[in-house]
Formats: sequence, C-alpha cells, structure tokens
Amino acid sequence: MFRTLVTTTSVAGICIGLFGCKQEPLTATPLKDFEAPFVFGHFQVPADNALTVERVALGRLLFYDPILSKNNQVSCASCHQQARAFADGKHTSVGVSGKPLAFNSMSLVNLLWGPQHFFWDGRAKSLEAQALVPIQHPDEMGQDLDILVKELSTHAEYPSLFAAAYGDISPQHIAAALASFQRTLISANSRYDQYLRGEITLTDQEELGRKLFMAHPDAKASQRGGNCIDCHSQFVTAGFSTRLDGFSNNGLDVEADLKPGLAAVTGKPEHRGLFKVPSLRNIAVTAPYMHDGRFATLAQVLAHYNSGIEPSTTLSPLIVEANNQVSDTAGAISLNLSESEQQAIIAFLHTLTDTDFLTNPAFSDPFNRAQDATAQVSKDAR
Amino acid sequence: MKNITVIGIWVLGLSVMLSTGCSNDKKTEVQKTAEKQTAEPASRNQEESQGIVLLRGLPTLGTQHSIAIVELDPESQKFGDILHEFVYEDFEHPLHHLYYSPNGRLYATGLDPACSLAEIGLHRDASGSPAIKGMQCLDTQGQQVGEDIMWHTVNGKQYMFVTFMGGTGVSQADGGSIGVFEPQTNAVVKVIEARRSEIPEGAPYIMYPHGISAYGDRMVVSSTIHPDLATGVGNALTIIDLNNFTPIQNITIEDAKPVGFPSSPVEVLFVRPEISKLAKPSVLVNTMFGFETWQVPYNEADKSFGNPVKVYDGVSSGTGVPLEFYGTETELFISHALPGVVKRYKLDSLPELVSSGPDIQAEAGAHHMIFYPTQSGRKVIAVQNNLLNLGNAADGDPTDVDFIAKVNDHSITVSDLMTGERLAAVNFKQRYKKGVENVEALFGSGFVHHH
Repeated sequence: MFRTLVTTTSVAGICIGLFGCKQEPLTATPLKDFEAPFVFGHFQVPADNALTVERVALGRLLFYDPILSKNNQVSCASCHQQARAFADGKHTSVGVSGKPLAFNSMSLVNLLWGPQHFFWDGRAKSLEAQALVPIQHPDEMGQDLDILVKELSTHAEYPSLFAAAYGDISPQHIAAALASFQRTLISANSRYDQYLRGEITLTDQEELGRKLFMAHPDAKASQRGGNCIDCHSQFVTAGFSTRLDGFSNNGLDVEADLKPGLAAVTGKPEHRGLFKVPSLRNIAVTAPYMHDGRFATLAQVLAHYNSGIEPSTTLSPLIVEANNQVSDTAGAISLNLSESEQQAIIAFLHTLTDTDFLTNPAFSDPFNRAQDATAQVSKDAR
Repeated sequence: MKNITVIGIWVLGLSVMLSTGCSNDKKTEVQKTAEKQTAEPASRNQEESQGIVLLRGLPTLGTQHSIAIVELDPESQKFGDILHEFVYEDFEHPLHHLYYSPNGRLYATGLDPACSLAEIGLHRDASGSPAIKGMQCLDTQGQQVGEDIMWHTVNGKQYMFVTFMGGTGVSQADGGSIGVFEPQTNAVVKVIEARRSEIPEGAPYIMYPHGISAYGDRMVVSSTIHPDLATGVGNALTIIDLNNFTPIQNITIEDAKPVGFPSSPVEVLFVRPEISKLAKPSVLVNTMFGFETWQVPYNEADKSFGNPVKVYDGVSSGTGVPLEFYGTETELFISHALPGVVKRYKLDSLPELVSSGPDIQAEAGAHHMIFYPTQSGRKVIAVQNNLLNLGNAADGDPTDVDFIAKVNDHSITVSDLMTGERLAAVNFKQRYKKGVENVEALFGSGFVHHH
C-alpha cells in the first residue's frame, strides 16, 4: 500500500513544490467513437484539460462518489440525477447541512457548447471553476479541499486513476476530471434531434408548438408567436458562449422583490433579477422550474409567460413588447396565447426529451446506485 | 503521524522525480489533443470564415471529386488550406451546388446521372472540428442533372423544390423537370414535367430548368440549356401554379444575341417582401448568353406577370454571362463571369438596379459567393471563379469547353466587402490540381437570397 502511494501521489507534489514543473499523466487515450452534431457548433476544451478516456472515467467516478462531501453522504449526483437530466426534482437542492439551498439544481447537458458563465447567477467562468464551488460550499458538500486530497490519496483506487489521468491528485485535477466527465454529457437524440435529421415528422400539435416556439409575435402582421426563441435561441445546447449573453429577467418578481441574480457577480444594478437562460433539453423531466423552482409544471411556466409577467426596470424588453393581440385592454404584459397554443408549445417541449441520454450507461452511476432514483422518476412521471 | 507519512512519501517521490525528470521535449497525446481542441482563440467563432467547397477532380491531373472544408479567412495563416476533405470515387461527374435546408441539413445537387441529388452528413469529432461523414444519393425518380434547390411553403405545407436540367433523362432533347420533395423524408411528392414534344402546341412548357424562385403560390423557373451544352438552348421562363404544381405560362426573355445563341435565362430571383419590404414584387432574370438582366413585373392582386423589361445590358457595360443573385441585409449582388466581376445594388431599390458601391473585381468565371467576417471583424466576400467547372484543354482534358472565352480560373478570390480591395486568392487547380465547383459558407450563407 505504501509503495503504491509513493509511486502515484507524491511525484507531482515534489515536482510542483520544488521545481515548478507539472507531472504528466501516465496515459492519454483519445476518446473513441466521439461524435457530436455539427449543428451544435464548434466547441473548445481548455488547453490543460483535453478530453481523454482516463479523465472522463475518473470524472465519472468522482461525480458519483460521496467521498467528495464532508460527511461522505452527498455526491454531485445527489443533486444531479441522470434520470432527471441531471437535475434533482426539488425546488431547491439540499446538501450536507440539510438547509435548502438558494437555487434549483441546474440540468447538466451539452456543456461543451455555450456558457462562459455557470450557475444561475453566472458566478463561475468555467466548468473547472464551477466544480469546486459546491464541494466547498458549507451547505452543499461542505468539504475542505486539503482534506479531500488526502482522502483521495489514501484511497485504494483513486491514486492510480489520477496518476493515469493527470499525474497527481490536486483540487485542480479533481475539478478538471469532473469537468471532463460533464463535457461528455451530450444529448443529441431527442425527437426534435430526430426531426432535424429528417428521421421523423412531428405531430401537428408538436409542429404548431415548434412554430410558436420559434416565432416572435407580430399582431399587426398576424404572426402569432410564443416568444420563446428570443431568449432560448441556444435551447438545444447549454446556452450562450458570448460574454453575458443568455441572462435575462423573465418577469418573475416585481421590482421590490428582485433577487440580485447576475448583479451579484457584476455589481451592476441593471443586472438585478437577471438569471441564466437554461437549456431546454429534457425540460419535461427537470421540474420544478426557474432558478428557485417556483413552478411545478410546464403548464405553470406557460401560464407565467402568457399572463403572469411582473414588471420591473430590468424586465427583458423582448418580453415587454411581445403580444399576440394588437392592443391589450387590460394593459398587462401578456402573450395572449390561446390554451391550445400553450398546449402545443408544451407538446413541442416534450420533443426535447432524450431518453437515450437519460439512460445512457456511460453517464450512469458506476457504483450502481442509480436504480432507486430512476424508479422514483418513473413513478413521478406516471 | 499522518504528516510524517506524507513527508516520507514526498521524499521518496522526489527521488523518483530526480531520476525521471519532467522533460517536455516530447509532446504527449494529451498535448497534441489539447492543441487540436484549442487551436483558435475562444473569443470568436473561427468557423464563420470556413467554406464548404465542392471540388472537381480533373482526370488529366489524376485527382478525384471531393467535398472540402476550406479556411477562407485572408487573415489566417491557414488561408486556402483544406481543413477536412471527403473524397467520393463512385461517380464520373461531381456534385454541383450546395444548399442548407431551413433545418440545417446539407444537400447537394449533382451532375452524375447516378447521383443528381444527395444529402451530405456533417458531424464533429473529439476536437470539435467539423467533418463530413458521408453522402447519400437520393431517389429522384429518374430525374437527372440537379441544379438549384429551394424550400418553399405553399398552403401551409413546406416542400423542397429541385430543378433538374436533364429532366427524366438527358437523352431527351426537350427535357427538364421540377422535383417536388417532402422535406423531412426526401421522398418525391411529384415530378413537374411539360415537354414541348408531349404537350399541345402553345401550352406552357418546362425545358432545361435551372434557376428557381417563388413567392406565395407562384413559382418561376428558367429555361437555360440542355445539359450536353449542344442539343438546345432556352430563352424563356416558366410560371408554375403551386396550388396544383402545374405550368401556366411561359415568358420569353430575349433581346440581342451577342454570341448568336438564344438568351439562356439562368438564375431567377422573385423579389418579394421577405427580401425587401420596400421593393415591388417582380422577377429578376439573368440571361447567360444574352448578357442581360431583366425584370418581369408581378401584380399580386391578380397574380399576373407583366412584360419583361431589360434593366442591365452587359454588352454596353462590358460584362458577359451574368449568373448568380446573392444578397446581404442591404445589398443584392450579381456575378458576371466575364470579365469576372460582381456588381452590387441597393436592396430597397429593387427591382431597379441602383448601384450601392464599387464592383468586386473577381476572376474569369465569377460565379457563386459567400459573405463572412475575418478574424479582425473585417467584412469580406469570397467569389468562386469557375463558370462551367470543367477541365482545361491545355491539360489535354476533353471536358474543356471554353467556347465563349476563358471562364474557368479555378480560384476563390476574397475581397473587402466595403472597398472591393482584393485581399487574397487561392487557386485550386494550382494548389490541389482540382477545379472548384461551388462554395457555400460552413454555416450556410446567412441572410442570402439565393433564390
């Protein structure tokens, strides 16, 4: 055991501490059969964290291993369950402290594309930076990184896995491995994907929903629209890749109740109440919705956009002027979609569910603890 | 006790380190992979300046037809490099024109009778780079020599319309058809055909259709030239009623015959509100052998077409063989293969051709074009300079038919869109021993009114 530790964990510590050079991984196997849809666009991976088989495998283990938490009971997967498209079904998640967290758990999907800012308020600028935040958060996983490194260093398996993937165990490499695994969480086989590839035809209701989803309403031109695409233009990936694009105030709260949102990161008052526009992939299985999980169903979400918008100074102008009626006598901000139109949009949103993604063994719990969660989701769906 | 153990481990580690070193002389697989995945800065989408280019193998030079992804940013050190190439060996004649469907599927028409229409598969590898993973020739129900594609919705139903200049057989002297396809399944819905030899005298005909454009329930196709370039040449438009996919009218587009042939209308553009809300609906027509651009007024109220009016005369303007219509948000561009120039017009002044700036000086055969920004944000235009995309007599190539003049430069030239200044050029024959058949932007042409 001692010899194992010597050969796998100490090298990088000495190297970095005394000589300032980085330990190279022992092996670097390129991902086999990796394929991503062209239409998702170009993606880039950090220069110091190229995707390899060893890194993804290590990241998957770490993702599902409660060893990352202070009490060894909470893993990333506690709040990011595959069957729920890596959300958790709760209004806001609960970690080691037992206290409800501030935000709803975000779905993890197609993270190779898009965001330069992670979390609902954009406080992390990379997947690697994001990964260490919940580990250390006192209410989420509550773990001290030095202690975590020591625990992993004395583990029977991790030292060799880190050696193969990165050369040594460090907080940075823990984050890098988690990021690598998350970058492989690619969803590309929903009914909508199949439709885009020409493999299926949408139903009439789904097609109506697709058209409404894609259209900004123009009552004067008799163009009816759900106004969805204005904010959700990157709805099949993980969001926008340009600076702070992809954050919006979608009218959840009146001025007095606006949460800081993006302003917590930028300090700018015009960013109050702006939250990340999430991916809509698998949206039908990621309830409840919004940054605080206030809506239990997609019908409630549509009802909000249709007639529940709260005005405020930072409310998205794209929402303010979107109306399917030429004049609204009530004076409220309203889309004025019919009930059947709302149902059509919901039907279209259901085409974004990718069952293959939700059940892909490559993304599943390597410790085989996922069955209970899957069963629960199936029960919920019924 | 735990600390001592750790220190002991580190000391032993040091001895290992000293004996093995931490040389960076050799690039590891990880580094190589990282270089591929991060070769470009993250601040911009470097693929905007990449083009998909149909390359024609030149038999006398021993090359094969291929589909290539080519860097076309004149500011890039990779300018003109083929970043990815998919070679297809099964066909004598190459793919001809590329089109993206509204849903982002990539199609190509083809000149080989065995593959007159194809869908091309694109994907991304582990480096994030785009790659072509294959092509599937589609069942056209015998229609041959695919030219242009247009997706158009009529009566609430979208179709993919394809002009087949060889109709249901290139052996037919007066052939030509419009294939109507279901856009999801690529299945043929209808073959619109009206050969003069098979319809009553004076009835509307379809012959050698190439250009295609539509507005509402009216479609316009041109009558260009028999695919063998010898059997016959057209001089008219055909109007098709899309309510029943029936040809209802022919409109002759012809005046002078500067080279002695019929006018050979080639590309057509139905100017319509989606192109410019200010422009009056009408049809613009380029005549390949008339060297002219014509306008045919359209009355929306009664769906009638007026008398054609010549709006550009190539002979008096020193240009010949006008070919393509392309557009940006503010301008319409028309390519002239001779002497190799792209002229530009104000979009909102259509159908009148009011100049909007200096000509883009291209090369002989100026044909298809794409628009994109460079790495520094400079707006540029790339022009593919090949008219007939055939071989060269100097190489002993029997496909050389430069019967009008030298119209095959085999190049793509890139110019500043504002000033017209030439920034760069890549000659595919010199560099790759291939002809350049067509160019399309990797992400499609954007706001372009090709049809």
